[in-house]
Amino acid sequence: MKHFRINKGVAALLLAGGAVFAQPVLADESDTLVIARSMDVNSLDPSRAFCDTCQFYLTAVYETLVTLAPDNKTLVPNLAENWDVNGDFTEFTFHLKDASFSDGSPVEASDVIWTFNRLKNVKGSPSFLMDGLVSAEAVDAKTVKFIVDAPNSEFLNKVSAPYTGIINADVAKGAGASAADDASEADKAESWFLENSAGSGPFMLKTYSPEAELRLARNDAYWGSAPAFAEVVVTQIQDAVGQAQALETGQVDIAMQIDADTAQSIRSPDVVTEVVPSYNFTYIGFIPGAKGMADVLTKDVRQALALAIDYDGMLDFTVGGNGAKQAAPLPNGFPGTAGLKQREQNIEKAKEMLAAAGQSDLKLVAGYPNDNIYGVDFNIMMQKVQQDFAAIGVEMELKPLTWAVWRDELGAGEWPVTAVYYAPDYYGSGQYIAYFGMIEGYPWVKRAGVGKDDLVVNPEEASLYATALASSGADSEAAYTKLGEEMMNDAIIIPLVSPNLVLAHRSDISGVRYSACCNLPLAEISRK
Amino acid sequence: MLAYVIKRLIAIPFLLLGVASVSFMLSQMTKGDPLAALVPERMMSNTEVVAAVKAEWGLDKPLPVRYAAYLGNLVQGDLGTSFATRRPVAADIAQRLPATLELVVCAMIVGTTLGLSLGLLSAKYRGSVVDSLARMVALVGSSLPIFWSGLILLYLFSVRLSIVPGTGRLPARVDPPPDVTGFYTIDSLIAGDLSLFLQSIAHLALPAFVLGWAVTGIITRLVRSSLIEGMAQDYARTARAKGAPEHVVLINHALPNAMIPLLTILGFTFAYLITGAVLTEAIFSWPGIGSYAVRAASSLDYPAIGGVTIVGSVAFLLANLLTDIGYAWANPRIRVH
Repeated sequence: MKHFRINKGVAALLLAGGAVFAQPVLADESDTLVIARSMDVNSLDPSRAFCDTCQFYLTAVYETLVTLAPDNKTLVPNLAENWDVNGDFTEFTFHLKDASFSDGSPVEASDVIWTFNRLKNVKGSPSFLMDGLVSAEAVDAKTVKFIVDAPNSEFLNKVSAPYTGIINADVAKGAGASAADDASEADKAESWFLENSAGSGPFMLKTYSPEAELRLARNDAYWGSAPAFAEVVVTQIQDAVGQAQALETGQVDIAMQIDADTAQSIRSPDVVTEVVPSYNFTYIGFIPGAKGMADVLTKDVRQALALAIDYDGMLDFTVGGNGAKQAAPLPNGFPGTAGLKQREQNIEKAKEMLAAAGQSDLKLVAGYPNDNIYGVDFNIMMQKVQQDFAAIGVEMELKPLTWAVWRDELGAGEWPVTAVYYAPDYYGSGQYIAYFGMIEGYPWVKRAGVGKDDLVVNPEEASLYATALASSGADSEAAYTKLGEEMMNDAIIIPLVSPNLVLAHRSDISGVRYSACCNLPLAEISRK
Repeated sequence: MLAYVIKRLIAIPFLLLGVASVSFMLSQMTKGDPLAALVPERMMSNTEVVAAVKAEWGLDKPLPVRYAAYLGNLVQGDLGTSFATRRPVAADIAQRLPATLELVVCAMIVGTTLGLSLGLLSAKYRGSVVDSLARMVALVGSSLPIFWSGLILLYLFSVRLSIVPGTGRLPARVDPPPDVTGFYTIDSLIAGDLSLFLQSIAHLALPAFVLGWAVTGIITRLVRSSLIEGMAQDYARTARAKGAPEHVVLINHALPNAMIPLLTILGFTFAYLITGAVLTEAIFSWPGIGSYAVRAASSLDYPAIGGVTIVGSVAFLLANLLTDIGYAWANPRIRVH
């Protein structure tokens, strides 16, 4: 009996030892693509989702009418074979390809109309993409026409945003979805979209476990070229170091959020890293409407503060030089940015302007999210701003906050300086004007004005924006350049860093690229 | 004893109702934007979106109405829907709790085995090199921050030496076993998949060791001091006088007496780790309840906060009850009334 027990013990030890020494299932030859990412999914419903992870998930599962070419500038056909735009950019007619949804049913004009109406009426986060849409009409089963209430040359760009991906209307309606005017109350399909998908894309949702794993399966009925991988798994790995380790061991094929510093620590010859510019940026925002700041944070003072910042030093300090300066709240490379002159530090001029404004002993408070976004640690970034302001005699108290508290205090105008970030939803400068423009009723006017909009509204910008939207090509470009200059002159939004993006993947993976609309186009990735 | 246990079990739902009420009120009083998890930052100024979201989630209703609805749903077993995951909180917890329990149970086995062994060695060889070494091993485990020891051990054993696999409960390329208990080790055995079982054990090994090592220190110290104290008691002297060898006195006489304080510590450590293993979960990408709790708290996800609070409370209440029962088992002289 004793002998038997010993044998059993030895067997158990061997079993445990074998388990511990078991090798991970490695990437080579696998038909599954594994991506490491800290997921920020707020929904998998195209009409409600709004996050970086959502961008590439929706791109893989729901196809848009048009999409962005690898040059990140040119719009190319996707579900729409071609399109017509009238002379004043108010009517857009799309001719659909013979595409089909994953259940085999054809993609028709009625699906497109239903999708756009739902996006507008459900009033989810991306509903702004349908602002101004007044009519959607099916000319025939494969032709759809949209009319907007004012000239909008950026409408085509908007429909390349992944949130406008076309949904199989019949399937979604069967799951409780609604596109009616009262969809914000009548639509009950959000939970269905967490477990199912109804798109025409190369992949379908297989399973989703919040903050753990997102699993996509190849759409075997895909109407286009079949993707290389049978399955794509996005696995939750919170930090850059963990993602890099998983990449080195072959546990994952791609790591999406590795910063440049961490990338340099990777020693494995089987890992490839490429640093590319991104369209993301971090910025500080001034809030003249904050308590007691109306007569203090004037345009001259704001411009003086902007002159105090050491923009080159900021890049070194925050991202070790792996980034770019950005002049206006328009990403480098977007329409209108080519002619903008970067801001430069000028301490003497800043001091003079402050003195002239009678604010030589200015004291400020900066409330900002205590976070690390796109590899930029906001604490480090704000410490640099604090240091730069000190050089012109401005004392700034730093107040790092949780997101929930930051948002609460931001609306109340608790502090005159804040810091945030922005990433594009599609290629186009209009989205930035619609957010950062000092135009009556626009988001940053409400933030910066805190009920006293006249402190910040710039009347020039509304007409310039209308001109930009009513034109295309060089005329539109020129209007956006002027808008950029006006926003720089406003000195409300001061971009600090446009951090580079590290594309990190195993060497046997190809087709990894950064897309301004879609983040990471999964269908283009293959194993060598 | 049975009547005592039944009384304690009956009291649990009422205690939980109180805990849930306090948790709800505290959440509402906490400073912060309740829409943080519902409306992205860029949409904060969009009044249409904000109004639609408030109406959808009942945040446009007065606090007493929301409280009444919350309690009404709670007594029916409905913990609400998470703002962040958009799924029922009960479903989120049911998915995440087994992952944490599997990790914590294994960590407790590691921690208790290691702590007990080191405590015994330390007491038996008091003042010797063995004592110093044992105490140092325990002290290092307790002193090293988990985020550091976890990262270093992961780098060493996974990246450099390839002895253990990386993060997560299973390799991402592998489908998990059919869900029966939520414990991958058990479910893979139920499915008859030995390979999956071994892989799940392999993935558990390092996080369980890191978490277990962190609780080893307190167990070692407690066992050591209890044993040293016990070895000086009359019953130990009597046993020695009867000719019992020193190791018999230690194991058969002093150790059972050391179990009573140890049970208290083990019970509460277990309950604490249910929601307190967050750093280990973060480093090893372990989709457990701890990381869910932290995310819920930071984003003011009221329903999820309430759900996690209830789970944590149940864990402590049950740990307390089981500890009391353990007392009676460990020492028949103790009778609970």
